Amino acid sequence: MTALGDVLHLLFTANLWQATLAAAVLLLLPALGGVISERSGVVNIAMEGMMLTGAFFGVVADLAWHNVWLATGVAILAGGLMGTIHAVVSIQFRADQIVSGIAINIFAGGLTVFLVNRIYGLQDVGHVGQSELLPYINIPVLDQIPFFGKVLFQQNVVVYAALVLLVLTHVVLFRTRLGLRIRAVGEHPQAADTAGINVFMLRYGAVITSGLLSGLAGAFLAIGVSNTFVPGMTDGRGYIALAAMIFGKWTPFGAFIACLIFGLGEAIYANNSIIHISPYLLSMLPYLITLIVLAGLVGRSTPPAADGLPYVPGSE
Amino acid sequence: MPVGSVILAFVLGAVIVAVTGGNPFAAYSGLLCGGTGLGCQGGENPALQISTTIVYVIPLITTGVAVALPFRAGLFNIGAEGQMIAGMMACTAIGVRFSSLPAPVLLPMVLVGGMAAGALWAGVAGVLKATVGAHEVVTTIMLNYVAQWLLRYLIIGGPLQVAPGTSKSLPIGAGARLATILPADNSLIIFGLPASVYRVHTGLLLALAAAALFAFLLWRTSLGYEIRAVGQSQRAARYAGVSVARTIIVTMLIAGAFSGFAGAIQIAGVDHNLSDVYFTDTTGFDAIAVALLGLGSAVGIVLAAILFGALHAGGAVMQADAGISGSLVFVLQALILFSIAANFVGQIRRLIPGLGRPAALPPELPPAAPLMTEAADPPPEPA
Repeated sequence: MTALGDVLHLLFTANLWQATLAAAVLLLLPALGGVISERSGVVNIAMEGMMLTGAFFGVVADLAWHNVWLATGVAILAGGLMGTIHAVVSIQFRADQIVSGIAINIFAGGLTVFLVNRIYGLQDVGHVGQSELLPYINIPVLDQIPFFGKVLFQQNVVVYAALVLLVLTHVVLFRTRLGLRIRAVGEHPQAADTAGINVFMLRYGAVITSGLLSGLAGAFLAIGVSNTFVPGMTDGRGYIALAAMIFGKWTPFGAFIACLIFGLGEAIYANNSIIHISPYLLSMLPYLITLIVLAGLVGRSTPPAADGLPYVPGSE
Repeated sequence: MPVGSVILAFVLGAVIVAVTGGNPFAAYSGLLCGGTGLGCQGGENPALQISTTIVYVIPLITTGVAVALPFRAGLFNIGAEGQMIAGMMACTAIGVRFSSLPAPVLLPMVLVGGMAAGALWAGVAGVLKATVGAHEVVTTIMLNYVAQWLLRYLIIGGPLQVAPGTSKSLPIGAGARLATILPADNSLIIFGLPASVYRVHTGLLLALAAAALFAFLLWRTSLGYEIRAVGQSQRAARYAGVSVARTIIVTMLIAGAFSGFAGAIQIAGVDHNLSDVYFTDTTGFDAIAVALLGLGSAVGIVLAAILFGALHAGGAVMQADAGISGSLVFVLQALILFSIAANFVGQIRRLIPGLGRPAALPPELPPAAPLMTEAADPPPEPA
């Protein structure tokens, strides 16, 4: 019973929820990218590789120029570049989007290690100085609110940015003409095309945006949460983001809730010495939960109708 | 077309090496030496290199089959990795638990146990696909990670850990091991080295048998007909009286058994225990490239497995001799995948007039796209 009491106590500490939100944001950014891409009809399982590429180039740029903002920009662009490759291959060349996604992930894993070796030789990548990391910012006044001040207003700058992007994605997707068009392209591209919507351009935009968002997540991981690049450091987060996207039924806020659940698990593990469960078994949970969701035990999760289908103008 | 894709990938790879200040010729000569034993300049033993390549090829054939079979049914199994690890875990658990049993009993036990575990792993995805329409790509990704974390748990702090502080299991019993092809004899010298250093093992024969079984199953049995019918059109297959749901589940079970077999063979033939080597293993993902490049035929899969096996074996030599990171191999693999999937070669041919006939349609693989249309709604069964 004491263990249970300790866990309950843990659940009422601000530290835990502060860590939960940060961990969730790391998943939220690529998940939002996934939502945008798949809403436009392009399956995206490449967030892992896009994020890894962002993490790597963020660290390289930060070490070279000692400017975290410039480095973050580079990371975002690097993710966007991977998104562009996925877009060109799967939209322009109508390649199988899953194969393209797998290829992006393999490409990112191989290229980053290859480049570490080319740039830094056999040495470590090196560490980014404390002053050159993405800063934690306390929002004046609000950060003094008991409990919630610490959870919501004493966070990394990327966390604030991600929450803004979350709302923005929701508003754009469901409250604007652009969002309606993106969704139309993902549900019925032929009809959208007939209505004068540029299917290719919207899909390009959506897939590249997913890369930009994943690149930002990579920057947060490598030069925010951590201070160096380690091969494979994304450690499946791009895939957990994919799971969150499905869990959240392809909606931004649904995905956010899933990210919070997965983030809470990560935070409980990082913040406690009470529960004596193998961390490896705990790490399995997001994937098992997603399988259960997919099994329909928590309601159906249905992708956009044209998700995964290359658009061929003039086809039925 | 596949050959063109590979050549294009190598050209792009050479550009990447050259742009980053490396010597592509040195890199590729290292790959060639490590993969085939040809043109070695660092004193490598060609026979040993070939043996190493074959050791890589063995699981690639079997997992390649595990990806290619569901492909024919319009299913994209990207869970060969998880299924293979499931097979490894089962093989090790049985081989350690019953280590005193004699080979005629124990060897079949570990191999069948591995197949069963792989089939179970893939079966989850098959059942979810057939009953609630959950997309197999997503479920197999999740199952890959479940297998990876379970492996870590088992050998770090879990029941198979050999001792605290280690990340490996006890070795499986002698009766659970596959023999090497050459006798494990230090006094016998073959190609200038003791016979015991050549790790090439009898799993090679099992892998080739798996490829042959795949071809037989697909083209000579009614199940194979049903698999192909479902892959062509679920609706048409249903009208022809094929139970789509049953075919999906059976296909995934068989595919998982192939992957699990690959894992069991790997433990029984090479490692003899679980270790952290497999935390970063990519065999099951390489298998996707093997299946795509091999155009889904048994012979093609074996040839593609030889290519990727040679690349992986060559990576180490390239790194040692040419100072180019072995991860270039993954870059090449990704480029090959892009090239096949996007049919770059066909597009290039189309752009250049007078270069013979226009490129044919993409390879005869069932395109994965149509299967996604029917992914949303689960196949209803006629009452």
